[in-house]
Amino acid sequence: MQLPKSAQWQLALPLSLFYIAFFAAPLLLLIGVSFFNDEMLTQPGLGNWRRFVSDAFYWKVTFDTVKLGVYTVCATILVGYPLALVYMQAGPRTKRILLFIILMPVLLSVVVRTFAWIVILSEQGVINQTIMALGLTSTPIRLLQTELGLVISLTQIEMPLMLLPLISVMARIDPNLIDASTSLGASRWGTLFKVIVPLSFPGLIAGCILVFASSTTAFISHSIIGGNRLIYLPLMIWQQTSVLYNWPLAAVGAIVLLVSVSLCIALITLLGRRSMRHLYV
Amino acid sequence: MNPHITRRQLLAGAGVMGACAMFPKLALAQQGSATTAIYPGAWEEAYRGIVAEALRETHGIDLQMQPLFAVDQIAQARAARGNPSFDTFVLDPGPRVTAIESGLFDTFDASRLENSAHLEPGMADEHGVPVAAQFVGIAYNPNRFDEPPTDWADLFEEPYVSRLGLTGFQTTFGTVSIIEMAKAFGGSEENVEPFFEELQRVLPHVATIGTPASMPSLFQQGQCDIMYTNTQTVGTLRARGVDIEFVRPASGVITFFTTMHIARGANEVDNAYKYIDTVLSTPVQQQLMADPYFMAPVNSEVDLADLPLSDMSEIANMVQHDWSLINPRRAEWIERFNREVAS
Amino acid sequence: MSDKTSLKHLPSYKSLADASYSACIYTVAGLALLILLGPVVIVLITSLTDGQTLRFPPTGLSLRWYQELFSARSTPIHRAAGNSLLVALVSALAAAVLGCMASLAIARSRRRGARVMDSLFMSPLILPGIAFGLAALVYFTMIGFRPSLALITIGHIVMVTPFVLRTTSASLAQLDGTLLECSASLGATRWYSFRRITLPIIFPGLVAGGFMAFMASIDNVPVSLFLSSPRSDMLPIRLWGMMESTLDVRIAAVSGIFIVSVLVLMLVMERLVGLSRRLND
Repeated sequence: MQLPKSAQWQLALPLSLFYIAFFAAPLLLLIGVSFFNDEMLTQPGLGNWRRFVSDAFYWKVTFDTVKLGVYTVCATILVGYPLALVYMQAGPRTKRILLFIILMPVLLSVVVRTFAWIVILSEQGVINQTIMALGLTSTPIRLLQTELGLVISLTQIEMPLMLLPLISVMARIDPNLIDASTSLGASRWGTLFKVIVPLSFPGLIAGCILVFASSTTAFISHSIIGGNRLIYLPLMIWQQTSVLYNWPLAAVGAIVLLVSVSLCIALITLLGRRSMRHLYV
Repeated sequence: MNPHITRRQLLAGAGVMGACAMFPKLALAQQGSATTAIYPGAWEEAYRGIVAEALRETHGIDLQMQPLFAVDQIAQARAARGNPSFDTFVLDPGPRVTAIESGLFDTFDASRLENSAHLEPGMADEHGVPVAAQFVGIAYNPNRFDEPPTDWADLFEEPYVSRLGLTGFQTTFGTVSIIEMAKAFGGSEENVEPFFEELQRVLPHVATIGTPASMPSLFQQGQCDIMYTNTQTVGTLRARGVDIEFVRPASGVITFFTTMHIARGANEVDNAYKYIDTVLSTPVQQQLMADPYFMAPVNSEVDLADLPLSDMSEIANMVQHDWSLINPRRAEWIERFNREVAS
Repeated sequence: MSDKTSLKHLPSYKSLADASYSACIYTVAGLALLILLGPVVIVLITSLTDGQTLRFPPTGLSLRWYQELFSARSTPIHRAAGNSLLVALVSALAAAVLGCMASLAIARSRRRGARVMDSLFMSPLILPGIAFGLAALVYFTMIGFRPSLALITIGHIVMVTPFVLRTTSASLAQLDGTLLECSASLGATRWYSFRRITLPIIFPGLVAGGFMAFMASIDNVPVSLFLSSPRSDMLPIRLWGMMESTLDVRIAAVSGIFIVSVLVLMLVMERLVGLSRRLND
């Protein structure tokens, strides 16, 4: 190796210092706040932690939040990956159009996006009118404020986060490898699972992590599209912060969310590395 | 010309400009400015158009507005520890009590306001002064029902309940409406249990349980056709062509005030009083009440047009609530509501 | 499909499988496009309404809300948009530089510490904005900073850098280390190697991450709310207020403008990049 190791590490220094000063420090403060019993932060204690941990409802809310993230990740992979394949094999002109479409959801402000989903999912909305016109059902089905409706809308909102890393990685796959695979007699399905998927794995993992993190903290979408029948941790944190001014309990909720989502992401990364090693061998 | 240098110069120039724009000029105590927190949205728009103008004309004071929801006002003031970034708060009753308990207000001296003479007795106190009234009742789409609902209990019966848009305790109007529903079923300001019992019964039929911010969209798109809200929302939506009517519940229209307060440690106390005085003046209150803002006045001189009362003195007979009783219970109610409606 | 040998002997089965591949991929990709575009189309149509409120379907079509958006009555929106664009631009640039450097440091290292650091750098993405906003406000005021546009920018940089980090790291995973060694052994400086070898490979990831960072900053509500000052009016907060109180159609028009601007920007960039490519060849 020509490059000294120390020089490599120095490159991480600016971001590390920035994060220590402006992220880790506030985060420590938040952790500190969680160890107070009262809203005015005068009596230190484990009261709010005990309250959270001993309550089955909070466990359910935490579980539901993680579950929502898992569903959204699965849905974005299932729907997004084929689009990434089409993108990879498209000509430059089609690529440009597809890229523009992929970026679309990001261009809608979160505020107006929620309105669009109300229009699509409501009882007299686009989906219900379509399936009723097709005669599939006579009474409207409830989509707005259901987990299904929320996952559908999150799939749209988070898809760019899955697709952008995926297509930037896929763009680097050597087309000769795919040709080689086909000429050696592999079916297109075989080529997909034996060549393309393994080579695009880094992008897939990056996408999963971004989508998981983003969908589990998308408070505005949770509360407007999910309504109040579905309770997730960010909503609970918001209630405790903004309505009840109980910042210690909000801090507990935030830390629980941070830890549980981090664990899931660590798991995704671990599985990713495992299967990558497996695939390459 | 060396293109490298020009590009660098350009970047440097852009950087300096950006930096200048980013660091607000240190607008230090120049004569004639007051900084107020204001709710984002209609409030800010109305105050920018009407109040700021009037304040400049009558007192030569420049009004700086900081759009903040109640929580952000309280969070910023708490964090600032006696050195707040704004001089006046604008709050609903719940947060007002929280702020009083946190000691965020200066003692309020209503005698410094010329317009306090136009207020009903007892409206101003040592904490602050009301600047707008809110009247809460039932709102419904007249095209969807043959008969309008008459009272709170009707919301839980057909045909209304299956078109009902329910919101919880996170807003002031939601909280007081639910208390009135609880009363209709035998509860009280301190006991909303009867509401939860009824809710349990009708829950599967309720059309929508939404976030307050989304209720206007849900209502307009027909996801629900009946809800509880204030006259301001009904006025605004109706003026924009939405089919919506306000119903005065038989048990009475609910009222509460949005109040203003001087922040403890405010920089511009004199100007802050002048600002509040301007807000309370008859022409300003009259303009704020008109289309497109529909903010109900507190000034008795104002002509009340469309509102569910003919004279400000009637406010004393309307349904009011004691937030020092509600606040300590609200956390429990919110949690209870979460658990009851969670599917 | 798992049995490769049988596939080889059955070409007709293979062509059937290939046909099923195309059918599957294109159907799902079509569904993905529908999901991506649906809400956008609804917002665009709504923004062209001649009515007074956000309503779908609109009663008639007109450009009045776009005219309104550019009229003097919308000055507060213009100011808020200016602030938001400035903050987003600075945040995205800072995130690109900091994130790119850090990902270089992490990706080239095989140490365990690098992996830990990688997940630590991702954590701002997982902390709900409202919790970070609150913690940052308390922390910044504690160390003597007053809420301002600069503070909002710092908060945004913290929140959006993970996007760049993730996408750049994904691209770097494909970089062949031996290329750099070759380059170094041929006497290239590190900066030269970075510019000629590393940068071209990570560029798509960097641009994708930078774009996501930009849009995440433009759309951020909670951090901006907690750190706002009288001069730091931000676009999404203003839009939020308009949606909540009046169903103002201008919030749909703003998204319309966004979409058109990005379209124009992409066309212009395409021209420039296309041109430079032709010149270089």
